[in-house]
Amino acid sequence: MISTPRKRTTALLVAGPALAAMVLAGCSGTTGATGTGAAGGGAPVANGTAAVSVSVKNVDGKDQCVPDFTSAPAGPVTFNISNKDASGVSEVELLSDKRILGERENVIPGLKPVSFTVTLSGGSYQLYCPGAGTEYTPFTVTGNSTAAASNGTTDLLAAGTAGYGGYVSGQVASLVEAVAALKTAVDSGDVTASQKAYAAARPFYERIEPVAESFPELDPALDLRIADVEPGAEWTGFHPLERDLFETKAITDSTKALAAGLVENVGKLQKETTGLQYKAEELANGASGLLEEVQSSKITGEEEAYSKLDLLDFGANVEGSQQAFEYLKPALVVIDADLVKTISAQFDTVTAALEDYKDANAIGGWKPYTEELKASDATKLTQLIQSLQDPLSKIAAKVAAV
Amino acid sequence: MAASTPSKDGVSRRGFLHGAGGTAIMSASAGLVAGTAVGAIGASAVLAGDAAHAATSGGPTGIAALGAAQSQLAYPFYGEHQSGIATPPQDHLVFMSFDMTGKSRTDLQLVLAKWSAAMAEMTAGKAIGATEPGREQAIPVDTGEATGMGPQGLTLTLGFGPSLFDDRFGLEKFKPANFADLPAMAGESLQPQFTGGDLCIQACAYDPQVAYHAIRNLARMARTQVKTRWTVLGFGRASAGANQQTPRNLMGFKDGTRNITTAEDMAEHVWTGEETGQSWMNGGTYLVARKIHMMIETWDTDSIGDQQSIFGRTKHEGAPHSGKLEHDVPDFAAKGADGEPVIAADSHIALAAHENNNGVKILRRGYNFTDGLDSVGRLDAGLFFLSFQNDPANFVALQRRLGSSDRLNEYIRHVGSAVFAVPAGLPAAGSYYGQEFFA
Repeated sequence: MISTPRKRTTALLVAGPALAAMVLAGCSGTTGATGTGAAGGGAPVANGTAAVSVSVKNVDGKDQCVPDFTSAPAGPVTFNISNKDASGVSEVELLSDKRILGERENVIPGLKPVSFTVTLSGGSYQLYCPGAGTEYTPFTVTGNSTAAASNGTTDLLAAGTAGYGGYVSGQVASLVEAVAALKTAVDSGDVTASQKAYAAARPFYERIEPVAESFPELDPALDLRIADVEPGAEWTGFHPLERDLFETKAITDSTKALAAGLVENVGKLQKETTGLQYKAEELANGASGLLEEVQSSKITGEEEAYSKLDLLDFGANVEGSQQAFEYLKPALVVIDADLVKTISAQFDTVTAALEDYKDANAIGGWKPYTEELKASDATKLTQLIQSLQDPLSKIAAKVAAV
Repeated sequence: MAASTPSKDGVSRRGFLHGAGGTAIMSASAGLVAGTAVGAIGASAVLAGDAAHAATSGGPTGIAALGAAQSQLAYPFYGEHQSGIATPPQDHLVFMSFDMTGKSRTDLQLVLAKWSAAMAEMTAGKAIGATEPGREQAIPVDTGEATGMGPQGLTLTLGFGPSLFDDRFGLEKFKPANFADLPAMAGESLQPQFTGGDLCIQACAYDPQVAYHAIRNLARMARTQVKTRWTVLGFGRASAGANQQTPRNLMGFKDGTRNITTAEDMAEHVWTGEETGQSWMNGGTYLVARKIHMMIETWDTDSIGDQQSIFGRTKHEGAPHSGKLEHDVPDFAAKGADGEPVIAADSHIALAAHENNNGVKILRRGYNFTDGLDSVGRLDAGLFFLSFQNDPANFVALQRRLGSSDRLNEYIRHVGSAVFAVPAGLPAAGSYYGQEFFA
């Protein structure tokens, strides 16, 4: 997918023990800074669940995040979090190493307390309160340490990424068939049939565009727009074909060559993506990246300048984004149920709003994205997508392995 | 990697750049002095000790010290009234109006609570979260462009539009008495894209980037619940507070000579009380925003005699035609040798004067703005008029007179308009604007 994470800064690794030391130092100096609870026993357990209260508050001018217990027995642990008056803290996370096991955002002064529950096996964890004077508080779970300290999300994410791999394969297989049909139509010289075949092929590519983009040779060969072509370089792929079919509306030998080239490059894409394995953060970044595509090239009408099929691509980008999100959802709901709710609701809103732009009689099934439609609706569409992309952009950090 | 460490060098360099213009130095010094003077009417500024000392003592490091002092100026966020009203007008403004897209009461509650906490952080010169998070995949919480710049006297003022009190959020019963959209008035050419809004935020600061950063981050953190509606960037203040030199509007005239400056006038004309029927408006006020486009090129071809007679004041000194100095009280009864009033009855100051409007006064806190060039190649600029008053009807009464007979109308067009109820200040950390709505 798009980005290969750069070599990670070691700052955090170095900071970890140092911060931990500060916590311990603060413990002896400040009354109530870190409750130790019943010695060795940790947080009290009721109905099989241990309960830890985390109070976020302003202490002597500094925002602090103070749990009443810093240990609990293995099993489900509920963190009840309240923010009295610490305006600089708005979220609390439970980390295992750097992986987020559970968290709550919107821990805001004046709002009702919130909570999250995680099932923990024995081991060392950290309570992370970004913005607090002491951001990291060590949290120890005693007892059984059979499974990896991951509350099951590792398995859920593995299943999700495997599922997504299957989805990509399916889309690519359909794309192979669709461009073959497009080539057949072009070879027959039928412009109308070719236009329809072009529109039929586009969504399969647009749904998985971030995957294709991770192959630096293939994506430009398949999807470059005229504005991005280096002077003197050959322009290939979907868009010169689009120009021939929708602007000049004439099929020439070069049009046929373009269609043949498309078939060839899509074949390469299939080969490259077969058996590919994905990381959870790649799905997350891909989901967000697709919405970035919507904003930067579909709403502006740049993607399908000749065919005006931008809304068809728009819809496909959103579908592809939602698919990636759905595969992450089973794990994500364990980590941050609220965020899943917000994102799901925003997907529903976008999907419902897009219904207005469908037109069964138009090529590709969507209204042509004319200058008039853009002038009247672009702002609305931008706001719609931004409301979705903003929360969606946050999930990569939550599902990342480290 | 973006640098995120505040550096002393960065602060003073900014200060120098900012102070490099002569007027900027004067306004900065006026602002600092006013900070203490205004303490009398409820607001007071906090200055870093060294910086304050350097600024008041002058000396060889004058300009840099003044800039540094100004960058460290911080107004308290919590108090009886919101800041950004009685606060001596800072040099720069970013105003933004928003509409709710979230449909639930919880959406609105979340926005108001998040904004309140973030406003407290930013007015203290702090980031609202990590600009460089530790995890590679994390999204920065604060966008970072104000890092290391200091609070810059930032104030953030929140308002609720009449539309917020419709049936969407069940807030009908919290609507202040007689609070409604402004009525249509003569002389308006309002454009829908510059009107109204469920919510508004006025950001004022001595640095435009600090003000912009605040608005940008507030808009960003609520992106799932609100959409932006319209915005104005004010590049120069066009009204004076106590002990501030009177600035000029883009017509070249002093604006705000007779503005409200005393605590008594604030109490009588600006702050609302029980008459609104809403406890959250005890200590609040109403904000009227008018985007006024000036026909700059035609104004520039008008003779000085006509320009002065339109305003009723001289251009350079700003003296009323009945006097010699700016602050001479205008004598609207004075007549010339020809038996006509010295200050024309249809001049701007005659029409707006409290003497001629049943004693009505409003607090003006406007800014000059420009949007570049308009669609037909003219300078697109003017006055972003902002006024605070305890009853929007007071503005309406004044504007009705101005709109129907002000000779200035030949050179201006009111293109944007909105009115907002500005809740009282928050008492302390842990409270948020609109908290009463969700009790």
